[in-house]
Amino acid sequence: MATHDNTEQVTDTTDEAVGWESKLRYFLNSDFVRSAPYWGIPFVLMSIAVYGGIGYNFAISFTDYEGLGTPDYSTLDLEMYTQALSSDAFISAAQNNLVLLVGFTTICLVLGLFLAVLLDHGIRFSEKFQTVYLLPMSLSFVVTAQLWLWMFNVESGILNLVVTTLGFNPVDWLGNPSIALGAVIFALIWQFSGYTMVVYLAGLQSIPDDQFEAARVDGASIIRTYLRIIVPQLKEASVSAAVVLMVFALKAFTFLYALVGRYRPPNGTDILATLMVRRAFKFGEWAYSAAIATMLLIMALGVIGPYLYYQYKQGSL
Amino acid sequence: MGQIQLTGLTKRFGDTVAVDDLSLDIDDEEFLVLVGPSGCGKSTTLRMLAGLETPTSGDIYIGGDHMNYRVPQNRDIAMVFQDYALYPHMTVRQNIRFGLEEEEGYTSAERDERVVEVAETLGIADLLDRKPDELSGGQQQRVALGRAIVRDPEVFLMDEPLSNLDAKLRAEMRTELQNLQDQLAVTTVYVTHNQTEAMTMADRIAVMDGGELQQVASPFECYHEPNNLFVAEFIGEPMINLVRGTRSETAFVGEHFSYPLDADVMESVGDREDLVLGIRPEDIAVVDATTDDTPADDAALGDHELRMDVTVVEPHGDQNVLHLSHPDQPSADDALQAVTEGMHLVTRGDRVTVTIPPDKIHVFDAETGTAVHNRRHDQEADRTQLEQ
Amino acid sequence: MSQPSSTGSFDVASLVEDVNLRRVAQYALVVFFLGFFLVPLETGIMTAIKTNESVARSLPFAPPVGEGFTLGNIQFALEQLSGSFFNSLIMSIPATIGSVLFGSMAAYGLTMVNWRAQMGMLMLFVVGVFVPYQAVLVPLARFWNNIFPLARMLEPMVASIPFFQGYHAELVPLVITHIAYGIPICTILFRSYYQSLPNSLVEAGKIDGASITKIYRRVILPISKPMFGVVFIYQFTQIYNEFLFAFTLVTGSDAPAAPVTLVLPAIGASTSGIDFGIRMSAAFLAAVPTLILYVAFAEQFAKGLRTEA
Repeated sequence: MATHDNTEQVTDTTDEAVGWESKLRYFLNSDFVRSAPYWGIPFVLMSIAVYGGIGYNFAISFTDYEGLGTPDYSTLDLEMYTQALSSDAFISAAQNNLVLLVGFTTICLVLGLFLAVLLDHGIRFSEKFQTVYLLPMSLSFVVTAQLWLWMFNVESGILNLVVTTLGFNPVDWLGNPSIALGAVIFALIWQFSGYTMVVYLAGLQSIPDDQFEAARVDGASIIRTYLRIIVPQLKEASVSAAVVLMVFALKAFTFLYALVGRYRPPNGTDILATLMVRRAFKFGEWAYSAAIATMLLIMALGVIGPYLYYQYKQGSL
Repeated sequence: MGQIQLTGLTKRFGDTVAVDDLSLDIDDEEFLVLVGPSGCGKSTTLRMLAGLETPTSGDIYIGGDHMNYRVPQNRDIAMVFQDYALYPHMTVRQNIRFGLEEEEGYTSAERDERVVEVAETLGIADLLDRKPDELSGGQQQRVALGRAIVRDPEVFLMDEPLSNLDAKLRAEMRTELQNLQDQLAVTTVYVTHNQTEAMTMADRIAVMDGGELQQVASPFECYHEPNNLFVAEFIGEPMINLVRGTRSETAFVGEHFSYPLDADVMESVGDREDLVLGIRPEDIAVVDATTDDTPADDAALGDHELRMDVTVVEPHGDQNVLHLSHPDQPSADDALQAVTEGMHLVTRGDRVTVTIPPDKIHVFDAETGTAVHNRRHDQEADRTQLEQ
Repeated sequence: MSQPSSTGSFDVASLVEDVNLRRVAQYALVVFFLGFFLVPLETGIMTAIKTNESVARSLPFAPPVGEGFTLGNIQFALEQLSGSFFNSLIMSIPATIGSVLFGSMAAYGLTMVNWRAQMGMLMLFVVGVFVPYQAVLVPLARFWNNIFPLARMLEPMVASIPFFQGYHAELVPLVITHIAYGIPICTILFRSYYQSLPNSLVEAGKIDGASITKIYRRVILPISKPMFGVVFIYQFTQIYNEFLFAFTLVTGSDAPAAPVTLVLPAIGASTSGIDFGIRMSAAFLAAVPTLILYVAFAEQFAKGLRTEA
């Protein structure tokens, strides 16, 4: 059996007897403390910027702060929220935002999936094509807005060139309020569908090749193979791409501003983000715009909250 | 000095208890192997010793000093990881030297010399300027060892270091590791799930299961005097034969046969009702029953003999493993396995007479699993027998 | 069947025919989308090198012919943008380095924290990636203008640095802002990489007696070089292309400290409308830095996007 020769010399230093000094020294030497500068500094900086900012914004949204001067925190109420929710501008911006969110996200996902499947198998230089398809993603929204402004131009834009060649009357893409939002969605899809393609391609590549081969041996056609076997396995990729796209649709501001170079985007394309920035920086209605921003944030959290919970449950964080 | 003492060591992860109240003393210069199935807590124990996990309760002493509140670098230990954990961007020389840089009392030139010296001991001196990905598995293993021994620690900790090698290399490295440990005389705690490694390398084996220590003893004792059913089953290849049954007045009664027990065995059994009879496969004697001189009917069988059928023969060259079943229930799972000499030719379907020698049997309490009787042996007598 | 053929005993002839038809359709679609993604760019570039007269007369995507060709637009746009190019670069480079470095540090540090606290912090980082910046714009403007007017405080100091003007001080708050809001995404990108490394590397470092800083500098940093490439390219593109923070903190497209993205929507505009030759030239010039990075490191850029999802 085990020997106990050294029992006596150590019994006086069992856990209870270990001085607080060595426990303190151990704590100070622990990974948690010694790695603190690494995670601590970025964490604090980020927290102040993101969560401090959100909190401050939240506080301002309860005041009546406007124009120059400082916010007055003595009377806090929900006035700005009720005012926003009952204003036509807010409601129409919210509607536009919803159309943008649903239309843009859906089409981007479908087109991205289509492109991914198109390039996944049997195409030479597939990587080169991917690079081209993804290229718009590397451009600033400011740049793409200029390119599409020219594409949508009533007199000499390419779209109208196509339309008139087909024998129709030219369309005022950005000037007609009932078409403008569709035109904006179209341009944004041009920019983003490469992104969804890349996400789907990564998903496709993680599916082992034998599944294609097994389906081939079973006699399934390529299209059936994709529809029945491959696409159902892309759920995770769809969810994460959809979250990114929806959050983008909520905060999209730059593209709309850069199309016209002013606070008010083309008629029929005003969304919450543009309304918020306009109210704040053009009219100085700080509290009012802070309230809109808070609601925008809550909507974004409504998208990412369930997503994060799902990721956490999956253990994939 | 590298003696290790663990007292009441416990580690919980949430609700699961990984290591449960483990107490163990390891002598200086001893080679102790912690062995058990995966999830038994052996690696967690090793990692607590290393300081990579904090014990939930209990104490760790190395060389008589309390270690619980010391970080790994202050414990005077070195560790070899299962995946070797070589730094991929450094050469072999830099890998080995890395740990030495924090050791005091060396000049830069002495450090370089020490690296070369260690590399020569391990026969990797010509690989010093290569990167890990240019080395074979065995060479990487040696570099990992070099990184451990270069700092001349009091204790080596090894976490399944041979499991990534192929079978032949593993056998080679086993011997090499033993020689190295002998030569360096450093206390070594070696974790493995492989009972062959445990048997062949250990001074003592600590068998763990479900976070609890089952037995700490020499390989000889673990094999011939297991504390309980778990140790008996875990140690030994092919596995010990276990037959469940009950106790009668003077015998063990199984489903297919009864086996008379000697008076002293009956005494240790006491009033336990449910028993497990254990016999090592190599202790079973098998005689072909189809030859003329065997009695034709079962009544003529001796007390410790059984009539059985051979269902499978696995030739290993030096020995044959026979799977045996009872003639009245041929479809049942193998009732027994026996190891016979390689030249002892039996074929599938043969009827044989099986002898279970009474001095080689083990008896366990079926409820608790505790061994109530182990095979008789007298170490002194065994040794003298060998010398004759 | 004796031959090593992947088609085995199928009817080879019909298969070939089938494949060929499908192949043709597949390639046709690939080329169609190539056009879809390239036409706006091609049109932009063609318009940039045409005279106004040629723009009005020729098809938008047709290349200029003869007299219709000019570099005047590009020259003009370059003159207009040169100051803002400088602004964009001296803003983007330190902001990228800062957020990438902090992101790598945070991701490494988090691996040392026990699991529960790590998950909590990680959640906060992830939410930080997705937060709409509108929710912090009002506080941001107030903070840098009223509460802590760093730009005004630094102005005399910045003015004394060679090649810099006093107004460049306005970029300092912008750099800090970009670093702070860039930390979450960089942390997430690095974390996914560090998670793919075996735990035993850091543990071996600890056993070897290396401090946490030494493990970072000597083991983790050298191993994560490729990931630094990915995150750097991704983050530089993001910051260079960014508009909203610059818009909030550097007031007006005519401000001397305005970065490219801020100036671009106003270039070539007059009371008579937009001069598209000039606007397209400016758009193309503004895109050049990120386009170069993209063409050279497309794979890294795609990897950054993939990891984000």
